[in-house]
Amino acid sequence: MVAFPLVTVAFAIETVDLTKDYSVGFWRKRPRRALDRLSLQVERGEVFGFLGPNGAGKTTTLKLLLQLVFPTAGRAQLLGCPLGDPAAKRRLGYLPEQPYFYDYLSAEELMDYFGGLFGLGLSERRRRTNALLDEVGIGAERRLQLRKFSKGMLQRVGIAQALLNEPELVILDEPMSGLDPLGRRDVRGLILRLRDRGCTVFFSSHVLSDAETLCSKVAILAKGCLVASGRLSDMLALQVRGWELVVADTPDALVAALGTRATRVVRIGEGRFSLELPLGAPPERMVAELAAAGAKLVSLTPLHETLEDFFVQRVGEGT
Amino acid sequence: MLSRLNGGTRKTSGGRDLRSTSVSSVVVLLSLTVLFAAAIGLQVVRDTRYPLPATTEESLYLTRQAANRIAFSFRPLGADLYWIRAIQYYGSRKREIDAASLAGAKTAAPSPGSRPALNYDLLYPLLDITTTLDPRFNIAYRFGSIFLAEPYPAGPGRPDLAIALLEKGAQAMPGKWEYMEDIGFVYYWNLHNYPMAAAYFNRGADLPGAPWWLRSLAATTLAKGGQRSASRLLWGQMLESAADERAREAAGRRLQQLDALDQIEQLQRLVDAVAARTGTVPTTWPPLIKAGALRGTPVDPRGAPYELSASGQVKLSPQSPLFPLPVEPTPYGPTS
Amino acid sequence: MTSLGWIAVNGFRESVRDKVLYNLVAFAILLMGASLVLGQLTAGQDLKIIKDLGLSAMSIFGLFIAVFIGIGLVFKEVERRSIYNLLSKPIRRHEVVVGKYAGLVLTLTVNIVIMTVALYAVLAYVAWGENEFARQARETPALDPALLKAIALLLVQLMVVTAIALFFSTFSTPILSAALTFGVYVAGYFSADLRNIDQVVDSRLTQTLARGLYYTLPNLAPFDVASQAVHGLPITAGYMAVTIAYAIVYIAILLVAGSAVFSRREFK
Repeated sequence: MVAFPLVTVAFAIETVDLTKDYSVGFWRKRPRRALDRLSLQVERGEVFGFLGPNGAGKTTTLKLLLQLVFPTAGRAQLLGCPLGDPAAKRRLGYLPEQPYFYDYLSAEELMDYFGGLFGLGLSERRRRTNALLDEVGIGAERRLQLRKFSKGMLQRVGIAQALLNEPELVILDEPMSGLDPLGRRDVRGLILRLRDRGCTVFFSSHVLSDAETLCSKVAILAKGCLVASGRLSDMLALQVRGWELVVADTPDALVAALGTRATRVVRIGEGRFSLELPLGAPPERMVAELAAAGAKLVSLTPLHETLEDFFVQRVGEGT
Repeated sequence: MLSRLNGGTRKTSGGRDLRSTSVSSVVVLLSLTVLFAAAIGLQVVRDTRYPLPATTEESLYLTRQAANRIAFSFRPLGADLYWIRAIQYYGSRKREIDAASLAGAKTAAPSPGSRPALNYDLLYPLLDITTTLDPRFNIAYRFGSIFLAEPYPAGPGRPDLAIALLEKGAQAMPGKWEYMEDIGFVYYWNLHNYPMAAAYFNRGADLPGAPWWLRSLAATTLAKGGQRSASRLLWGQMLESAADERAREAAGRRLQQLDALDQIEQLQRLVDAVAARTGTVPTTWPPLIKAGALRGTPVDPRGAPYELSASGQVKLSPQSPLFPLPVEPTPYGPTS
Repeated sequence: MTSLGWIAVNGFRESVRDKVLYNLVAFAILLMGASLVLGQLTAGQDLKIIKDLGLSAMSIFGLFIAVFIGIGLVFKEVERRSIYNLLSKPIRRHEVVVGKYAGLVLTLTVNIVIMTVALYAVLAYVAWGENEFARQARETPALDPALLKAIALLLVQLMVVTAIALFFSTFSTPILSAALTFGVYVAGYFSADLRNIDQVVDSRLTQTLARGLYYTLPNLAPFDVASQAVHGLPITAGYMAVTIAYAIVYIAILLVAGSAVFSRREFK
């Protein structure tokens, strides 16, 4: 029996026409397609963003890759091994969405347990547990029972346990959800460090900005179908369509003088305005002008279409 | 179930089952078949080669009430609870009846027509349930029959039920010669049926492990049934072979009652002699003491003073632990 | 240690941390209370009653542990979705089933061993204060080693019950699993009636059906030799061996079937 003759080991993840139907309804079961012929290739060493609004089929895909559910049709490989092969799991790290761990264990005991499942020796388990818990920033609470952990702390433990086996591929399901801004920054830093070590990171998110700051490539999923994939910069629809400028201590007259150079003006408070600028006018000049007139710059943000806008648009086009 | 769960498995174009983790259904079904065959084989071997000694009668078991079935593995414990209840019931009833008699209530033996308000009606059902739940409850048969045969007010005075209980025990444990001995005692002491008593003593003596004296007990019963000497022999034997404190106490009490009967006869002769000499029937002890016939107030073997009735009859005090004295068995003869 | 061992030890740790072993306190209080009260209530039967009580309490406490923890073993992992993470580790699903089972068996064994020690301690205490007559009236010695046979078979029976509970919990909800497990437990006690049904019923079909059920349902009654042990009746080594072998085979049936179901299950 020859398995996957066309696939080379170059891919960390490869799916071919991966399809999943769930049956719904209590009396008369009928299939509902959760994932429709997904073909995807994730190269080794990439940070790959798997994007889509809630309910697009992201989690279904991850569950298929981890054999928590079984495909209706199609096939997939992880690190060159067929799905469910323990050899692949040995080299894989996984963070589930909203992770729950055994709340009667302490963070340290949890790491020890999973380290044992990876077949690590005692000294190796100790070393990695200490290093990883320190790295995700809960070194001080390592002996605390997990039932006393906040959502964000659990997320950090979840990331630490996903890295126990020094994996070649890490699959993270919504790693940013439930985290405060500080936590998001930490996780971003961690993902980039993993990339630098040569680890492939495959993460799902419904927030585009996560992907922008991290990913070399993305795939976008809507209603179970792949709608776009490739480099983020290649996706015209996702490019910046303008800027949002927030200024303070600005006289009303000055704003009125801007005229049509701002597409939209919103007065937030006394002397405080939010200005939307079109893509064509470079924001740098406007910032300089306003500053010269005594206004203070609060923030400058690029404006995107949201993922949802993007999907609505793509689905509306009938693709 | 399995087929439905299996429905999701598809062969892919590459001909490979994607559920590579799960063992194939054929292997599972095959191993289940082999294991079931082994289980059945072991059951057959156990049932045929290694029978377990039965603790319940099969016929009884099948006709038992539904309530008993629910008890399944907790039957012995249920028996214990009923045994405790039976003892509690007997003890508390006896105390109530004693208290009532002290308070002056009429505590005559129940005549067939009128039943006393305070009775032992629940004693037999309690003992019956105890021994049904645990048919090997040795003590329940032996003590239970003693309680049942005891005449009112010390017991319900039902030797027939005592015999029924012991017969039930003999059915559950046919090797127990003690039950035959106990039935013999009930026939001897409570029913004064000496041929039956002797027959049961002999049946007990026939069983393996029975003591040698059971045979001589049967002979004595046939020869001298009802005589006090035979009774003394019976209870003396009982005292010696007593398995526990309660049985020993019961036997000791019987022997003391026999002593009391002897003493009452002696005292009566003394009273009658004084009456004949002085011409007046004494109704209290002091005149007899003054006359030098007695050194002090005579007491029974338990220390309770004997009483004298208005007609000069010596009697056991109703307050005595030995009260009531057994009805003196009629000597064995054609009258019984 | 193998993955299976890790899962088992973690399961044991879970029941200890969830304070399952607290039932031992109740058991100890029950026995000690009984030994104090019984001497005043009964006529020389204290030891028999303490034996009956001890064995029955072991059986019922063990049954509750086996059923109520057994039905939750797999369900809790699925319900709280910790199974997602567990299955991403390099283990196979049947290792989860067998490992969880081994963990609960470990809990039960520790539980029963401690109860046994407590029972013998109370028996020794009561026998020490026993009078001469009661000593002679007993059918069996106070610290009868035959009790150990009854306790061993009880533990083996509880292992079968645990396997039943675990099997049901691989595909159904805890309440349904508990009901089914208790149902099989009761049926398992009465399966001897099924074998003898041909003496009561004439219908050939009913007879065959009853016989089939007798051989396929787990037969739990043979494991209950408490009353034989208390009355000092013989329990042969052959009987023990065949009964334990039967238990091993039946546990294997349940674990194979449970693993097969669990391996095919989807976690949506």
